[in-house]
Amino acid sequence: MVGVRDLQVPLLACILLIGCAGKAWRVVRDRSVASALGPTILFPWQLRRPIMFAMSVAEFCLSSALLVTAGRFQAGLPANAVRVCTALFFLVATGTLYEVRQRRPGVGCGCFGEFSDTPIGLRTIGRAALLCAAAAVATGAPPLRMPASPAQAWLWLGVLGVELALLAALSPEIGQFLVRLGYSEPCELRRLPVARTLSALRASAQWRHYAGQVSADIPQDVWREGCWRFVVFPGLANGRRTDVVFAVYLQPRRPPIRVAVLDETALSADSLI
Amino acid sequence: MQSHERQVRHSTDFPGWCDDVTDSTSPARFARRALLRAAVLRSHGDEGQRPEGALAGDTPAYTVTGKILDISPHILVLDTDDGEQRFPLASSAKAWRGGPVAPAALRQGDQAIVRRSKPGMSVVDRLWAEAGRVTGTIIERDGPATLLVDEGPAKGRRIVIIGAGATGRIQVRFPRLEPGYLIDVIGLRHDGFLEALLPATAQPPYPAGHPPVPPLVSGHVPDPLSGTAVWHEPGEEPTGLIGLAYPALDPETSCEQTRTVPVTCDGDLHAVDPHATGPGCIRLPYLSVGSMLRLRNDCSGRVRVLPVTGCGATARLFCDRCVSCGASQKGRIADLTMTAFVELGGNLEDGCFNATMTIGG
Repeated sequence: MVGVRDLQVPLLACILLIGCAGKAWRVVRDRSVASALGPTILFPWQLRRPIMFAMSVAEFCLSSALLVTAGRFQAGLPANAVRVCTALFFLVATGTLYEVRQRRPGVGCGCFGEFSDTPIGLRTIGRAALLCAAAAVATGAPPLRMPASPAQAWLWLGVLGVELALLAALSPEIGQFLVRLGYSEPCELRRLPVARTLSALRASAQWRHYAGQVSADIPQDVWREGCWRFVVFPGLANGRRTDVVFAVYLQPRRPPIRVAVLDETALSADSLI
Repeated sequence: MQSHERQVRHSTDFPGWCDDVTDSTSPARFARRALLRAAVLRSHGDEGQRPEGALAGDTPAYTVTGKILDISPHILVLDTDDGEQRFPLASSAKAWRGGPVAPAALRQGDQAIVRRSKPGMSVVDRLWAEAGRVTGTIIERDGPATLLVDEGPAKGRRIVIIGAGATGRIQVRFPRLEPGYLIDVIGLRHDGFLEALLPATAQPPYPAGHPPVPPLVSGHVPDPLSGTAVWHEPGEEPTGLIGLAYPALDPETSCEQTRTVPVTCDGDLHAVDPHATGPGCIRLPYLSVGSMLRLRNDCSGRVRVLPVTGCGATARLFCDRCVSCGASQKGRIADLTMTAFVELGGNLEDGCFNATMTIGG
């Protein structure tokens, strides 16, 4: 049990460090503290930036202090003071998250930067409470040391695994992260060059079938609507001028293609605009 | 083959930056797109859209724009594109000219937009005169009340002078009237500048170039989409145009060409190209000029099929909600022409309405 208490210190330090790094990365990427506001939304405009800054600095200082006091160096009163401060930090965080959820239910906690945009739920609040409990449990624990036996090492690893699984279950950020890993953009949002559309069109059976009716090499109009790109060629059929319209679905390989041949005189749209 | 591709790219590389109806020598090309699309998709029994929906967007049923030739408490005479027209004013008619005024207080020569109480009837119940709006990034500030605002590549730059009595009202909603931050104000159009009188929204807390990243979309983009619809001044567009500037035109065939503007003054350093800031607050499917959208004003219940007539990329920079009738979803989905906004039942001084948009009409 004593060893389990010891494990909390590096775990808390890592989580604080990841939280601080996540916020800092967002601020650096967006070149704006404002983008990582999170719970500071509760405060007046002028105070948000300093509070955001203070929160990140507190996370960094606590994580550093936890690591420095984890071993024999500074054990005892300094180590316990740092752990009590960490417990207080997470206690305040729990209360603040609850308050933000009540007042601004659409706001994310911003705990881990851009991954924490999901509105604050009970899981997020529960995670802060769990970390608060972990810091409280770690208070009074002896300096961190190596396990005395392989059996103890396995026990510690098992406990660490369970705790990490619990934290993962309480973290909506994990879902966001996994979504990004396997994310494929919907076709209506995907950028696809016109040149690729034309290549796919010219390699298709539909093109070969209607190429004889097309009277120009260059399309007279190309535009896009959602997942479809439309390519219009001037055409000639039975001596009449036509529009040969191809609709090419925007997918990288073997896109579905549809064709319509329209009598040009039947399409008078001058009155539309 | 290669040469064809190059030529297509060149044909879409508009020197006017934006694939805009007003920039085109052939607006009928865009208008035909809805018909061609309907023909090619409907012929396969999929996604067929009624082409008559396209026709629904071309003429205003409620709205008339023109220059005031004469106005009395009971009669308004407007110089419109169709010539001189007379409209009786309802006894309850409301007018706006920088603020609520009696209809008779409007002036001869004012550019006005009026809304009739019922389609086809001539009785007018709402009037707006010289209404203007500037939406964009502040790039210079001269003194406490004069701003130079960049409205994006499609619209250029405007001078905004904050009205004497409006400073407090605007600064409450726009605490950072500094270069690099966004502004959206409504006021009176003057020769060469806008006299800002009302804040159209609350200032986003982030610098203009760093809007929040929207959440990823799994599956397809929802259709219909909900959000905020705003309006813009006609600029180079015909004053009575019914349509909308769409925030997500296809970057390959429309206006998202990379612009290289030499920095010639300090203000250029703060100018933000909205095409370079990502998708903005909401992920919208790529469309083109001429695409048809069905837009519903959730506050008035009016619905209209509208064509995309221009590039509204600046709308991407705003991650705000409209609170005309309850809070809308975050993000601007349409930047309507003045006529379309009024036609759908919006009040110009409100700046926005909650909207639901269906792609394709």
